[in-house]
Amino acid sequence: MDSLIGATVRSHCVGTTAVVYASDYLNKLTGEKIERECRRQLDSGCRALVIDFGDTQLVNSIGISILLGIINVAEKNGAQVVFSDVNNQTVELFDMLGLTRHVALARNEQEALSNISGLDPTPTLH
Amino acid sequence: MNTLTSSDNFRRVLGRVPRHEFVGRATELDRVAAQAKPQKSGRGLLLLMAPSAGVSELLRQTFDQFFNERSEVIPIYFGFTRHETTAVSAAIAFLNNFLQQYLAFRRNEPALCNSALTLQDIVELAPPADLDWIDQLVQLYGRVRFSNDDKELVRFCLGAPQRVPTASGRPFVMLDGSELAEDLNNAVALGTELLHVFGRSNQAFVLAGLRRQIINAAHEAECNFESLDMLRLEQLEAEEANLLVENVARRQQVPTSREVRELLVQQFGGSPFFITNFLQAAREHNAALVSYLDCERLYADELLGGYLRRHFDELLEEVVQQLDTRIALIRLLWEAAASGEKSVSVEAWRKRLRLSGGEFVELLRRLHIYEFLNWNGPTLDATTGSQPWKDYLKVNYRLVVMNDPRALVVADAIADSLKRAPHTMALHYRKLGRFSLRDIVGQFDCQHVPRLLFDYSTFATKYKGVSDDELLEGLKTESEFLKLPQTVHVASCYSFKSDFRQVCQEEKCVVGHAFEDGAYNDAHEIIWLVAEIESKLEVEQNTAELWFERLDSLGHTLGFRRYQVWLISNEGFTTEASSFLQSRGALSSSQHQLEVLVDQVGADKSLQPQPLDEADEFLMVVPMGDDNEMLAASTVEQVARRLAFPPAAINQIKTAIVEACINASEHSHSPDRKIYQRFRVESDKLVVTISSRGILPTNVGSGNSSPSNTENNKAADERRGWGLKLIRTLMDEVEFERVDEGTSLRMIKYLRNSSSNA
Repeated sequence: MDSLIGATVRSHCVGTTAVVYASDYLNKLTGEKIERECRRQLDSGCRALVIDFGDTQLVNSIGISILLGIINVAEKNGAQVVFSDVNNQTVELFDMLGLTRHVALARNEQEALSNISGLDPTPTLH
Repeated sequence: MNTLTSSDNFRRVLGRVPRHEFVGRATELDRVAAQAKPQKSGRGLLLLMAPSAGVSELLRQTFDQFFNERSEVIPIYFGFTRHETTAVSAAIAFLNNFLQQYLAFRRNEPALCNSALTLQDIVELAPPADLDWIDQLVQLYGRVRFSNDDKELVRFCLGAPQRVPTASGRPFVMLDGSELAEDLNNAVALGTELLHVFGRSNQAFVLAGLRRQIINAAHEAECNFESLDMLRLEQLEAEEANLLVENVARRQQVPTSREVRELLVQQFGGSPFFITNFLQAAREHNAALVSYLDCERLYADELLGGYLRRHFDELLEEVVQQLDTRIALIRLLWEAAASGEKSVSVEAWRKRLRLSGGEFVELLRRLHIYEFLNWNGPTLDATTGSQPWKDYLKVNYRLVVMNDPRALVVADAIADSLKRAPHTMALHYRKLGRFSLRDIVGQFDCQHVPRLLFDYSTFATKYKGVSDDELLEGLKTESEFLKLPQTVHVASCYSFKSDFRQVCQEEKCVVGHAFEDGAYNDAHEIIWLVAEIESKLEVEQNTAELWFERLDSLGHTLGFRRYQVWLISNEGFTTEASSFLQSRGALSSSQHQLEVLVDQVGADKSLQPQPLDEADEFLMVVPMGDDNEMLAASTVEQVARRLAFPPAAINQIKTAIVEACINASEHSHSPDRKIYQRFRVESDKLVVTISSRGILPTNVGSGNSSPSNTENNKAADERRGWGLKLIRTLMDEVEFERVDEGTSLRMIKYLRNSSSNA
């Protein structure tokens, strides 16, 4: 967890879609980093966000509330949001708190990207 | 666990606690109730109570049991009080009480027990079947009452239960507080009369009181001991006393922590009387008892002006009424207790108190009965008595003899008891986790055991470092055996020589009187002098020499003709120390040898140390913040795996804990910024308790968020609601407990079939 403090969030762009990777524990600190990165991507002109939870073992309610904030910001910017590679327990939590009503889920990053229109297959690393 | 079962139809008549919460006296209750059986007819039961062991509720519960059974046994309970001043008034009170309780039972109307009825009311309420004899009794009473023969009146009143016709049932009279009956200021010795009247009736009865007083009274009344049974009532065992503290605290709505509950049990020596009164005081002070400090502050208040003080004040006033003599007595008692001197001259006390011979003897007799001291002819020992008694004496001594400022006495009382508390508990835990030397030596009964269990050097050479299995196999091949003697008496060295107080703990040095081969003659008599030396390493020769000399000197001083020194140390003895001990004929063992010895002599498992109750409990304290909730989550994951929770359930538990920790960090305003976590593994569930000091907002825990004005507050409230919502959804049971200085969230996850958890 300490290794995350000060570390940047891993992300890349596929066309106008930004893929942002959540860390192993989604809490206030890591949630805000994801939020900042998403805002930055949206400000840069991205029209869709994929947040990948492949590494995420545990999320807490603060982390989830931040995700809800990201979804709101994306909606205001007319951007789609897809969550990918979410484990069953985390899906259960998202369901409980109503997050899945506002966001699409995809099995993995590839499926998320293919669900989003305007796919650009050339990844750009940031 | 001696918890009595509850029954929906069970009516509480005299009992002050619900039946299912009456703990620790199930065996005694059965024994008292058995006294009412027809085959016990005519036999009295003397209930010999240790001071403050609490007998009244036991008798009231017995009363309720018979009242509810509706059999031919008619329960009668009467407690003597300090309010009665003469034997006559006490006897009249008994008569009135008897008739009311009799009627209550016969009419099956419990409320009559506590009504204020005149004798005329009683006659009018009497059922037709009882009208004749009750009316006759009342008329006779009117005549005897004004006959000016007090003794006859007392006997008439006490003998009233014998007038009940056989067809109406069998009264079973239980008399409580016999020591108070004895002290009534009258020419008629009521205590003696009680035993005269009941001891010669053909009805079973119970007479309860202080053990030393009852035995004396029975002798003075020239009772036929063959027709009397006896039951001793001691303080509660730790487990039962703990249960009592829990129950009373819950009834009194006093928040307590486990640490404080255990401390109360030890500090009050398992006394139901002290425990109940202390928790009553806590309620009246609106005090939470969650820390040692909470506990000892209240304890100091109690010593200086609460129930404890009133209790001891009343007893001392009974012992001596004149104030100046009482102050002189307090000085003598405290100085003798503080000195540790177990043999003080009675004559010296008599001179200091300036009392006549009769008054002085009466004073000593009463102090002896209350067990404030042991009086043995020309000497007395005032080092006895409970810890609260000693503390009471000390504060009183400082206040009334030394005239110390009250504030200083209060502060010192708190500080002293706070300093003592960890030692009290450490001693208790040590006792729980270790063998008792006294029990081990007491179990010696001519068993044959491998000789090397008493010879550390040989044992270490052959078996040090080998596995337990190999050791047990090896011991089977041993050919040299030592035949243990038969022990007839074991006591701490303290009891023989008080100097030992300065060098070891009481339970770590014992003297065992024994006979070899169980032959009771001088030639076979041998005294074992045993000491356990505190050491984390093998004991060096100089220490072994020192301890050998101590015990050897004790044997010489006490004039033992033949004795055997046995030294024990955790890790055994160095080669030099072992050689020295061998050269002196002393035995030596390590803790390991002792454990094996216990197995060999102790088919009786009572020798084995009792496992701690909380063996399946894990405690963890983490600072708030820095994602430390993840440390708790990782820990609980390991704990939950032991219970074979499926991965999905483990994740749910982890998430719930993370949320609970966040709640504690965000909302508790905790002064120490720490989260206390307790994980308890039970056969079918995991119980997690997350606690913090500090106050939670009132809406937290209610399941509802209060409306807020600002956008930020709304978001915060919403998120807080999420945390609790998650916890409640993920765990099977969730319970908030608010205390004065903290909050605790208790969560339970049940272990189910994996299919239902998936």
